[in-house]
Amino acid sequence: MTDMPDLATASVPPAKAPTAWRGWLGSLAGRRTLLAVLGIAALAVLLAVPATASSRYIVYLGTLLALHGVLAVSLNIIMGFAGQFALAHAAFYGLGAYTSAILIRDFDLSFWASLPPTAAAAALLAAAIGYPSLRFTGGIHFALITFAFGELIRLVTANWHDLTGGPQGMQLGFSPEPLLGIDFGSTRGIYALAAGLLVISLAIAAAIRFSRFGRSLVAIREDEVLASSLGINVTANKMAAFVITSVLAALAGTIYGPFVGFISPEMMSASDSISVVGMLIVGGLGTLAGPIFGTLIFMGLPELLRVAKLYRLVILGLIIIAVVLFAPKGVAGVIDRLIRPKRGGAR
Amino acid sequence: MGLDIAQTLIDGLMVGGLYATVALGITLVFGLVGILNFAHGQSVMLGAYVTFFGVQAGLGFWLSAALAVLAMAAFGAILEQLVFRRTLGDHMAGLAVSLGLIMVIENLAAATFSPDPRFVDPPVSGSIMVGPLQLSSQRLLVLAISTALIGGFYLFLQRATLGKAIRAMAQNRQGAALVGVRVSLVSRTIFTIGSALAGAAGALYASLFAVTPYMGNTPLTKGFILAALGGLGSVPGAIAAGFLLGIAESFGSRYLSASFRDGYGFILLILALLFLPTGLFGAGKARV
Repeated sequence: MTDMPDLATASVPPAKAPTAWRGWLGSLAGRRTLLAVLGIAALAVLLAVPATASSRYIVYLGTLLALHGVLAVSLNIIMGFAGQFALAHAAFYGLGAYTSAILIRDFDLSFWASLPPTAAAAALLAAAIGYPSLRFTGGIHFALITFAFGELIRLVTANWHDLTGGPQGMQLGFSPEPLLGIDFGSTRGIYALAAGLLVISLAIAAAIRFSRFGRSLVAIREDEVLASSLGINVTANKMAAFVITSVLAALAGTIYGPFVGFISPEMMSASDSISVVGMLIVGGLGTLAGPIFGTLIFMGLPELLRVAKLYRLVILGLIIIAVVLFAPKGVAGVIDRLIRPKRGGAR
Repeated sequence: MGLDIAQTLIDGLMVGGLYATVALGITLVFGLVGILNFAHGQSVMLGAYVTFFGVQAGLGFWLSAALAVLAMAAFGAILEQLVFRRTLGDHMAGLAVSLGLIMVIENLAAATFSPDPRFVDPPVSGSIMVGPLQLSSQRLLVLAISTALIGGFYLFLQRATLGKAIRAMAQNRQGAALVGVRVSLVSRTIFTIGSALAGAAGALYASLFAVTPYMGNTPLTKGFILAALGGLGSVPGAIAAGFLLGIAESFGSRYLSASFRDGYGFILLILALLFLPTGLFGAGKARV
């Protein structure tokens, strides 16, 4: 897409820039700023192109990107900041879509009224699986349990015919009602909704990152034992992060429902959860801009390559492996390294 | 009533043996090399396909199963050499790499083998009556094979020199290296054995269930539940947990509801984590 060349060219000049400019950059503590600027630029392209484009396809793609952006940004809170592998993200996404659809169908709620109970259900479930597994240090138990939980939710959804329609999924006939005079029911309205949620998620992630809570999470990521010796309640902090992560994913799911008009247990599959993890790994864990880069690469690249879905997943899998083995800090890390002022000596 | 309970118990044991075989491979690799291998389920799936194509080619079930074990052993060694060797000592990188492997293997398999389910004729059919109990011959055979595999493997760990080297490395990698254990060789062996066990489990799965490119996630999920239930890294714990899960699922689907069969293990796991945080035998001190 249009933003790809942007990204590439924007990262090259600093690498070749004269030293004076580098000094200016360094004096501004600039590399962080520049990384943030690049992230904001990528975000702006992501938000502005569909908002102004006339093609329905671009709007469709923009909505999909924004929803996946929400997934990546929210997963980054537990995985990037707190360092815990949560492998049930697609399950919470699907859970949100199903819960809101069922509430609207069976209890005649409006789309907006279905959001609070959906968020509450996601929070409750996240706490229920988070508490037993996050008490352990190291994150292995948590990775195991969230993976098993994701599969469990998918199987229950597929088997509970009366409530969910089974493996054939549910056709949804509703669209969000107008609110504050804005029509959210149209294709463009749903796009605005998804983009709005993405901005809110980013704001939440940024607020967390620069708060005491966020610093506690980073301390936990670096060393759980040390963090607890500093008086940080490790389990409670990790749980809070997981609950926020999961609620945001569920909210993205509630938008996905009316966006596509059809939901099925397929959307909860393990490989979708892994895809989101892949977006983060490729983009750069724990940075604010990383999830946005990751979403653009992960969703944009296959769109550019135009290959069959099976092969694009193969390619993305290979990208994950290559990034972990050769560029562990992801794209954000690579950009960071390119624009880092050289401090004499070999590095 | 008593008869019904006995029948359910034995049904559970038969499935449990299969679960234990999968869990053993996961526990082995995690407990000894520290890598949570999410691609283990894919080895089970590939093993099932090797068995299917072997039977198709007229090799018969036994030869095909042996072929599956050998093929998966080689596959495990190759994966270790290409990928996992580079992530030793970094749990999270190992985990992330294995997630990427799932996507590569599963989707390549779907593209090559087509997603249609395939079926393998079991080597034995019908059922035998032991007193008043009716036992499916194939499931009984699966139980016998998995018990033999587990028992043989346990003996290998306890008695063989290589088995002792593996246990030494699990206790202390540096210490083992100091007394002359070739750590890199041992890790490769562990991957090879773990993957071979997955191949065997795949052959057994193929004789009971449909073979599809996406079949790997179910055994993997069960294997994970068992590895945690048994205390991460504890081999006896994983084996006991395998049989326990088989029995729990059997009773759950007999007396509660069959549609939620896959949920019982999860509930068991949550309870175990809350009340038995170090696993069934209290031995698996959670390795970080």
